[in-house]
Amino acid sequence: MIRHLFKLAWNKKKQNFLLITEMFVSFIVMFAVFTLMVFYYNNYKTSMGFDYDNVWVANYTPPQNITTTDSFQIFHQSLGNMVRSMPQVNDISFTSANVPFAMSTNSTEVSFGNNRHIRTNVYQTENDYKKVLNLKMAEGRWFTDADKITGKYTPVVINSKLKESLFGNTAAIGKIIREEQFDEVPPADKYRVIGVAENMKDKGDYQEVENGMFVAIDTGWMRNAGNILIHVKPNADAAFEGRLSKALSNAIGTSIEIEHLDKKLQSKNLLMLVPLIIALIVAGFLIINVALGLYGVLWYNINKRKAEIGLRRAVGASGADVSKQLVGEALVLATIALIIGTFFAVQFPLLNVFDLPAGVYITALLLAVLFIYLLVLFCALYPGRQAAAIYPAVALHEE
Amino acid sequence: MLTNYFKIAIAVLKRRKFFTFISLFGISFTLTIIIVTTAFVDNVISNNYPEVNRDRSLYINFLQQRNSKFGSEMNGPASYYYMDKYVNSLKTPEKVAIASLFMPVNAYVNNKKLVVNNKFTNEGWWDVMQYEFLEGKPYTQQQIDNGDRVAVITDDLKKNYFGDVPAVVGKFIEVDNVQYRITGVVKSVPVTMLISYADLFAPYTVSKSDYKSKEFAGIYSAVLLAHSKADIPKMQQEYADVVAKIRPDRKDFDQFKSNADTYVASFTRQMSNENDGTGLSFLITVAVIFILFFMLLPTLNLVNINISRIMERSSEIGVRKAFGASSKTLVWQFITENIILTFFGAVIGILLSFVILQAINNSNLINNIHLSINFTVLMFSLLATLVFGLLSGVYPAWRMSRLQVVTALKAQ
Repeated sequence: MIRHLFKLAWNKKKQNFLLITEMFVSFIVMFAVFTLMVFYYNNYKTSMGFDYDNVWVANYTPPQNITTTDSFQIFHQSLGNMVRSMPQVNDISFTSANVPFAMSTNSTEVSFGNNRHIRTNVYQTENDYKKVLNLKMAEGRWFTDADKITGKYTPVVINSKLKESLFGNTAAIGKIIREEQFDEVPPADKYRVIGVAENMKDKGDYQEVENGMFVAIDTGWMRNAGNILIHVKPNADAAFEGRLSKALSNAIGTSIEIEHLDKKLQSKNLLMLVPLIIALIVAGFLIINVALGLYGVLWYNINKRKAEIGLRRAVGASGADVSKQLVGEALVLATIALIIGTFFAVQFPLLNVFDLPAGVYITALLLAVLFIYLLVLFCALYPGRQAAAIYPAVALHEE
Repeated sequence: MLTNYFKIAIAVLKRRKFFTFISLFGISFTLTIIIVTTAFVDNVISNNYPEVNRDRSLYINFLQQRNSKFGSEMNGPASYYYMDKYVNSLKTPEKVAIASLFMPVNAYVNNKKLVVNNKFTNEGWWDVMQYEFLEGKPYTQQQIDNGDRVAVITDDLKKNYFGDVPAVVGKFIEVDNVQYRITGVVKSVPVTMLISYADLFAPYTVSKSDYKSKEFAGIYSAVLLAHSKADIPKMQQEYADVVAKIRPDRKDFDQFKSNADTYVASFTRQMSNENDGTGLSFLITVAVIFILFFMLLPTLNLVNINISRIMERSSEIGVRKAFGASSKTLVWQFITENIILTFFGAVIGILLSFVILQAINNSNLINNIHLSINFTVLMFSLLATLVFGLLSGVYPAWRMSRLQVVTALKAQ
């Protein structure tokens, strides 16, 4: 039966060529859309890994008039104490500009053993950073004041993802990580792992978890700090925020902006969702277009074959047989298109284009195959049923 | 002849309404999407309020300091000091506007928080940019020199801060814990105008960051206004000559680069990985490929439908051939018919886009944006229609013209 259908399709290859091309292109479009959707959905499913409710971030330009490292340290200490002493504030931590849901990133390349050039985010943190964001530790510990005494290696906390990239399943605590350098100089031993934190999805709901490495701010770096993460009590309102802004402004002397992490998350998500929504609108329109076209062409083809169908009915084929054959023919065309399409689609996981996990591509591929089959089935069903209703006498009479 | 084709086309359209609907749906929606996209792109890149002089302006948005040995780079906007020393001193420009990037700060009124985007400018800003003043006027050079805390605000900020009051010039507004006296109110700018967008404009002398700092890196960008379009290359060259003599101000770098570019190029240059070239051609190539791919599906669809429709008329073709019509005449007839059909689709598409653009303008998707179908957009969409009609008409017409007279007549 199936071989017969293939033969029928092959006999009309010229006519079917355009239909197959159309199905092929639709498949590619749907594959792209599904890849995006599966990727987003997978990311959406992974837990955030930290709390952002009631966390604010104050951004400021580091003051220029303080010159020595010592005076900077005093400045930060008094600034920190002032904010901490406010009744609505729970905890604070100075940090680098890559606070959760911010646009700015800060990264470096590290290596361990043969795992070279692993790109990771670097977060400058203080002891209370973990408390502010309610980070969970998988193993080891967070920074304490004891880590401030500079030893040979800088103590770091890494996230689970970076641990896996660097160490696989082996233990990470106490290991020394190297940092890659420019210009082919061999990487130098630099960091000692003291803890592993749970993954933190800090780029937004629909973004992938990335490698992360937390470093305790040292006194030299402090002058670059321009962000304070503040965990406030639930009763902190705009009036308090105004007071906080004024107090910071008086203490720092430069521009202050206070943002709420939940609001930042919203705008970050929007930035990710807008391309998806546009892609869905465009793809939806294309698919409606294709569905109507397929339906029209199949319907027309069946009308043209009335004589053939009438003959088959006359020699004993049932209505269901005829409709099955016509739907089958359409599905065979779809299969040919999908085989070609799959050949191109599997290149994405094979060649690792765009750096997405292979599972995402494979799920998207299966979904797209299913979608095209359903679409073709849907478009062929009604014309097929119509063909089944043809009376042999009428059809043969027309001839 | 053409009227005849027109009549035939209408007759054919009326015959199979479902097919007509599919064709028109495909054409009009494809065009709608293209028109809406081009309207948006056109709004972002062409001369629009307040940057009406964009075609005779050059933009300096960033400096690059580079270490050629290690490949490390520092990219970013320039300091006021740099702009004043190297850009303000150029001879060719008629005017130079220097302004900081817009910087979000907070204002607190009546227990409510407002996010206000601040911009610090020089006096030339108000000559290069044609803001529409609803009340008051810009601050003067004198006020800038005195370091007066004065500001021009947008009508959006006025509404959010003061509510519905008739006039606010002379009143004070507290933003980022600084009291500014308002000298003017301008019509708001959509955020898509990356350079001219802001809520509050103030003299650079009152900015909290030190404008006298001699570092090159800073927060300022500049817009150079030429006397005429013809002066643009000259202005570009003059700046390039100046830049050639500048050495990096930091010891760890040995190369210094900066360019005065047209508006779009000033952004594509930052995104392109190449060290030379603006990346503009790359962007255009990608856009063209994307649009072609997007139009591929509707075109294939239309080709399929057209083949069905034309084959249906094989008896007509057979008769015409039998009476001596050449293949060429027939091909032309069908292409003309198809273009007529696509133009119907285009009219529907333009109406549809008009509705959608109005909806976007009235919704608060992007504040203050005003998208419209202007002449350029219309021309582009008509061109797209023509291409569309040709693409989807040529192959079926060719197939049809090769029909044998006998087969065509027998098919009846």
